[in-house]
Amino acid sequence: MDDSKTLNLNVRKDFPILSKKILEKKDLIYFDTAASAQKPNTVINETNDFYKNHYSNVSRGVHTLSVESTFRYEDARKKVQKFLNARSENEIIFTKSATEGINLVAQTFYEKFMQKGDEVILSLIEHHSNLIPWFFLRDKYGVVLKFANIQPSGQIDIDHFDSLFTNKTKIVSLTHLSNVFGTELNEKVINICKDKSVPILLDGCQSAAHLKIDVQKLGCDFFVFSGHKTYGPAGIGVLYGTENLLSEMPPYQGGGGMIGDVSLEGASYAELPAKYEAGTPPLVEAHGLGIAIDYMNKIGLDNIIEHENEITKYAFNKLNEIDFIEIHGGDNKRNSIISFNIKNVHSHEVSSFLDVEGIAIRAGHHCCQPLMKHLGVNSTARLSFGVYNSLEEVDKFVIALHKCKEFFNK
Amino acid sequence: MNDLINDLYQEIILDHGREPRNFGECDPHNKSADGHNPLCGDNLKLTFFLNDQNVIEDIKFTGEGCAISLASASLMTEKLKGKKIEVAEEIFKDFTNLVSGTDEDLKVLNEEDSLYALKGVGGFPMRVKCATMAWHAFNQALKD
Repeated sequence: MDDSKTLNLNVRKDFPILSKKILEKKDLIYFDTAASAQKPNTVINETNDFYKNHYSNVSRGVHTLSVESTFRYEDARKKVQKFLNARSENEIIFTKSATEGINLVAQTFYEKFMQKGDEVILSLIEHHSNLIPWFFLRDKYGVVLKFANIQPSGQIDIDHFDSLFTNKTKIVSLTHLSNVFGTELNEKVINICKDKSVPILLDGCQSAAHLKIDVQKLGCDFFVFSGHKTYGPAGIGVLYGTENLLSEMPPYQGGGGMIGDVSLEGASYAELPAKYEAGTPPLVEAHGLGIAIDYMNKIGLDNIIEHENEITKYAFNKLNEIDFIEIHGGDNKRNSIISFNIKNVHSHEVSSFLDVEGIAIRAGHHCCQPLMKHLGVNSTARLSFGVYNSLEEVDKFVIALHKCKEFFNK
Repeated sequence: MNDLINDLYQEIILDHGREPRNFGECDPHNKSADGHNPLCGDNLKLTFFLNDQNVIEDIKFTGEGCAISLASASLMTEKLKGKKIEVAEEIFKDFTNLVSGTDEDLKVLNEEDSLYALKGVGGFPMRVKCATMAWHAFNQALKD
């Protein structure tokens, strides 16, 4: 390692999976946190404990276990509210995933505020989960979709974005942190939406665990993220929405838990947030997400971000020195994500080769096929870091990359 | 070097991955299908000419993909050219078993076969789709 540099944070022991040996002998180097983060002991133990000692359905019964379950579920909502700095718990809707959150907004926002011919602005760097829910509106209702161009840096082209607005633009939906480039959305983009009084949804899947989120300061109207990318369980997502909008939009799904009063002639709906939470929610997963937030808070988000920034910078500089590596995106700041290719070697080959070295990276289109087309590549390899990674791992990765290049170009 | 990697990337695979044979479009052709791996975006277009004796007279493909998917498509076209459909279907079944890690009870393929080089894919379950993409396109073309 260069300059015998080490980082202050060493939390590897908190993550039991990281002691797993790949193919029985290689230490696991997990560089795929952007796909899903590994889970600390506290999350694993606390979700176990929920099932062992407190489990029942939430918000329904009056017995002891129901009270204990409901307390944990609602306590998780409070933790998420603080984590995002939302004004009220009523603005925190639990979903099964960030994807569900975007679908919820697309469907219910359309129903309340849009009609045929109205416009939605998206961009070229969006994940499929922030494209397809809007494609549904285009296909079913004749909504017009517009896509902001990106600059070589990976940032949205502000002038082009600004030029897309018309008096029919009803909502904007963009990624807060690109899952391919690791670039953060320019705040000017949000300001433009504010100036034009057009609501904006931020897809925070990649940002929630790698940037400090303050939805009020950001000024977004909706923000979604998933539990599993923030060291919590899969199967839980969060939709933040301003109370004004969430109050006006209709319910998404019908079922138990979201009603006020029901007769055979009709029903009234529950107040926020229950209005959007039909059916038994992923209650244990919500609790697990709350515990994951506790875990991040205990280490300190600032410390986590600093740690990841050091590793990202270190890895970027190492990769940048290698002539057979092509890094995607510009030279602006990357947050825990670097996409690259080994020249003349498909990312699948890179990933399989690294796998037997114990190194997990993502290869493919990263659910961003329109962006891949724009980049003129079929797929890329992606490194993504979490709180548990180290500079030593980057060094081992770089050695493996050289071996990989040698193997495929022999 | 790791055995798994050497099994997966045998010389013949690397060779066909770098220089796929029968790359292009058959002219004329009366059968075609697109193969696509939605997980990674790899894709190919397969065309072939089936004569009135049900023999595959010519078969070609174009597309982009990893070494495994290109090599598999390339080796497939070499193997299927000149074969009767009934035989080709048997080979398809054997091949699918082979790359899924079950090389017992193979009816038409044996270790002498170049397609046997793809057996190593069995050690990488997530890569099986790469190896079978061209074959599924072939199967699809027969159905259409």
